[in-house]
Amino acid sequence: MKKSKSPDASDALFEVGDKVRVRDMPYMFYTRSQLYTRGVVGTIAALTYKDLIPEEEAFNFDGRIEQYYIVRFRQKDLWPGYAFDNDTLQTECPHRWLEPATN
Amino acid sequence: MSHTHTHGNPGDTHHKAAPMVEEITDYEVLEIAVRELAIEHGLFTAEDHRKFTEWAESIGPAAGSRLVAKAWTDPAFKALALKDGLTACKEVGVDWAEPTGVGTPSDYMEFHLLEDTPTLHHVIVCTLCSCYPRPLLGMSPEWYRTTNYRRRLVRWPRQVLAEFGLIVPPEVEVRVEDSNQKCRFMVLPMRPEGTDNWTEKQLAEIVTRDCMIGVALPKPGRTADVHPIQKARRPVKSSAEEPANE
Repeated sequence: MKKSKSPDASDALFEVGDKVRVRDMPYMFYTRSQLYTRGVVGTIAALTYKDLIPEEEAFNFDGRIEQYYIVRFRQKDLWPGYAFDNDTLQTECPHRWLEPATN
Repeated sequence: MSHTHTHGNPGDTHHKAAPMVEEITDYEVLEIAVRELAIEHGLFTAEDHRKFTEWAESIGPAAGSRLVAKAWTDPAFKALALKDGLTACKEVGVDWAEPTGVGTPSDYMEFHLLEDTPTLHHVIVCTLCSCYPRPLLGMSPEWYRTTNYRRRLVRWPRQVLAEFGLIVPPEVEVRVEDSNQKCRFMVLPMRPEGTDNWTEKQLAEIVTRDCMIGVALPKPGRTADVHPIQKARRPVKSSAEEPANE
């Protein structure tokens, strides 16, 4: 099977403060990357740990180990019409679900 | 429907109590099947399972309260707790590795303490299901696992907090932490005024479970998470009762 273009653990890691966009990728049967974050730009708040990705671990498949990040979003970017400028939301993403963003 | 509903009418005596039904979900059936297989194959005994379940259900939020009280009174411990949460937990008697060596199922060895400041208020949720810092706080409250709380807290955090009686001023940033992977989070609230000479034990008493989830703030005199039950103004009369004469 041909390898997809999705990133893998060999990609350079993001650093705290980097702008990232959550990829809007298809998945088979299981993911923990929430729909409400797809396509939204956030900021890396922390590098947490390296582990299997949920899409593989859920089926007991020992795939590659990837870096996980805590990503911070502005609530205004997640929800149209959100009324409080300063409010934020954080959630975790594995490396392959993130791509560099400029804004 | 062939019969007519006449609830509450005088003389209505046919309305029987609903039968007791044991509702069980597919996932509960699956859990029982896997558990019974594991017992048959000797992976663990039924006694092991019962002991573990009772141990897991016996954990309350007391260790979390002690951790917060210690962080309030000991700056070095607070710095440790924010930097290395697992080591700090051991100092208040909680080893996240118990009882298996790698933690309890679904409580991974990743713990972060979220520090509130005068301009930042944290609140935790798991939009996927029920991720919760169980080794420190025990089982999550029922409302924490409801879809109502999970789907609304991320979208309407201030409104949901207000339903708990917590109004956060607009100038304070509300930060929702959706713990949807392997990190587990707990809120380190600010020490309230009027507690200057208090001991750690006194302080721990006001750090309730809700304060560490982020839906309440600690304050002197508030030592329990009491959500008042309002009496119904016009309670439904059961059909066995005579209608009230008014």
